This record gives sequence, C-alpha cells and structure tokens, in this order.
Amino acid sequence: MNFSLFRNVLKNVAAITYKSNNTFNVRGVTQVTKNIHITCKHYDLMEFFDEKKNWNETNIRVGRAWKLDELRIKSNTDLHKLWYVLLKERNMLYTMEHECNEKVRLFPNPERIDKVQESMDNIETVIKERNIAYYKLETGETGERPVEDVVNLLGLSEKYQKQEYHLPKFMNSRWVRSYFEHGYINSFAVKKFYRLYREKLHNEERKARNRDFNHVQQLLKRFPDMDMEKLKAEYPNVDIEKAKRSKKARGHFMPKY
Amino acid sequence: MSTRWYPIYQRGNPQLRVFLPNFWMKLVKNEGKQQSNKVTFHCSMEMTKHDIKNYLEKIYNVPVAEVRTRIAMGRFRKDIGQGYVVKDDDVKFAYVTLPKDMKFEFPNIFEKKKGDSDDDMKSLDEAKKSFKNYIERNKDRSDVPSWFSI
Repeated sequence: MNFSLFRNVLKNVAAITYKSNNTFNVRGVTQVTKNIHITCKHYDLMEFFDEKKNWNETNIRVGRAWKLDELRIKSNTDLHKLWYVLLKERNMLYTMEHECNEKVRLFPNPERIDKVQESMDNIETVIKERNIAYYKLETGETGERPVEDVVNLLGLSEKYQKQEYHLPKFMNSRWVRSYFEHGYINSFAVKKFYRLYREKLHNEERKARNRDFNHVQQLLKRFPDMDMEKLKAEYPNVDIEKAKRSKKARGHFMPKY
Repeated sequence: MSTRWYPIYQRGNPQLRVFLPNFWMKLVKNEGKQQSNKVTFHCSMEMTKHDIKNYLEKIYNVPVAEVRTRIAMGRFRKDIGQGYVVKDDDVKFAYVTLPKDMKFEFPNIFEKKKGDSDDDMKSLDEAKKSFKNYIERNKDRSDVPSWFSI
C-alpha cells in the first residue's frame, strides 16, 4: 500500500464535501477549482488536533456526509484515499471531544462525528457491493462470510457466522462433548432454562391475545357501526362474534345486533 | 476491510494486509510530568503494539521508537437517580515514545485570545438580537402568541 499517495489526496476528486466552511467557501461554480482543499499538507502529531482557528470556536459549520450515490461513481483508489481522510478526521474529532470533556467545555457541533461515521459506513457499503459483484462474476458466490443456522448450547436456533479454526471440527473432541447424550445440551440446567424460556414466550403470546381481544371489545362498544371486515383484517386472531356477545362490548344503549 | 475479521495466519501465507482499517486513536494529555518525547493515546481495544506503530508511521508519518500499552478497566458507578450499577467502557492506553530528537507538547486549546469578548456576552448579544428580530417581524400582529409563527 503506497501511503505517500495521500500527499496529493483528492486533487482530482470533486471537492471534499466534508470540510469546514471556514476553509471552504464555494461562491460560484467557476471558483470551485480554486478553492479545492488538499488534505495532508503536513504529517504531524498536530493532525490529531483541529486547525488553530477553530480552537476557541463555539460553532463550527460543516457540510454534509458523503452519499452512497456520490461514492458509487468514484474509483477504488479514490475511495481508499477518502477513507484515510475520514479516518484522520474522525481521530481529530475524537481527540477534540476528549479534550473538551477534560476541560469541561462544550464540544462544538458533535454531529460532525456522526457525519464522518456515516460517510465511512457508506464507503464500506460501496466497497462491499463491488466485492460481491466481483466474486459473483468470478466464482458465482458472494464471497461474504457464510452464515449457518445452528442449535446453540442452550438449545436455541441461532445464526452462526462461520469462522476459521486451527482445529478441524471432527478433531475437536472438547467442543463436541457438550452435544453428546450426557453433554451440556441435555443437562438439567439447559432443560430448565428452555422450559422457563418457553413459558415466557407463551405468556407474551397470551398477553398479546388478551390485549387484542379487550381492545376489540372496547372498539365495538364505542363504534358499534364499525366496518367489521376491516376490524377482522386488523385483528385476525380475535373472534369478533365472541367479542360482540361479551358484556364489555355492550354500550349504554339498546343493542343493535 | 469489507469483511471485518482477520483470517487465521498459517505459516507460509502472504502477509495480512488491512486496506480499510477502522481503528481509531485519540491523542490525550500525558498523566503527570513526562519527557517531551512521550505521547499518550487512547486507541481501539483490538490494536496491538505493532498495529499502533504501523498506524502512526504509515498514516501520520510519525516515527515511533517504542510503544507500550495497557488496558484500564472502566469504573463501576451507580447511576445517578436510578441507582443501578453502570460500568464505564474499558480504555486501551498506548504510551508512545518518539525518537530522542523529537518533541511534542500538548497544545493549550482553550487559551483565551486577546480582544476576544466573553462567551456569555456574545450569547447575550445574540439573544438580544434575535428577540429584536422577532419583535420586528411581528410588529403588525401583536395579538398572535409567540409559538404560532414558524
């Protein structure tokens, strides 16, 4: 990786969107080329700090984050350079935020961190898209980390992201022991956990059922001329005829049905 | 890396390379008095000494003589009001020694400049100005409550 490239970062790339307004004034389209900001003039530990004129500011206005569509038309090299620009910017913001906290000051415009983070996330998304496209073309697979449905040690199904191990699965006697007949997965503790877990799920379901039924009763009481089909569509699990017959659904008037 | 995990290194494999590192580092003030070529950082928990050295040398172009790290456990404290126990995040400290001839002094960021008016006065002036603007805008409809306009 040639890091000296970053000296002339983004000379040809469109103007950095993420740049403080103090340094970057776009007055007209014709002037854009003049005011292009070239990052990394100096390599120093002072890059961990903001520019000197922003030190005592209470309000530092910046632009927006990079959007996905803007990043999609950039080359891989440009994205790579931009990543490091953003990485440095984020480090700078973290440093300033920490110093502000130490000195019990307000950190001006903390949303800058979110904007940088959003840009970085977008870059990663774009790179991922390209990676997947390349792998699909070359190998027919996505090249992403494979995910498998497994039963974990507590007897629950789980999405497992596959990873590499020094020891092959069939040789790992310690791991497989817990899945044996007298292993951990069949132990009393796990069974008890599973029982209680199922009870919890059941209770949630029961409460939801009762809540819906009561709600439908109240609706029928307040709006007896309601569209029953719509009600049925909204609450498919509720027995509407039963709700109509109940005492709670009767309003203080002569029943219409 | 678009896939954020390291493959296991087997002997003879090519060197591991990270193309889009998401490590962060922040420069903090030294604790107590230190030599002028010592710098303290907080960094991502997963960074090793080699990572820190490479990070500073390759990305920031700062020569590094030595790196020492430690992990400080976050404090356990009681939440104010609720009373439950909260644990602050652990922090990884990196103590970096620069070469002998290099010096770094932590800048004084909140130094007051000469001729700078007080922050309080500034905000007061701003408030006065905005109130004046508000009065000016609503001259012809004095009976409309303040929350009504946009």
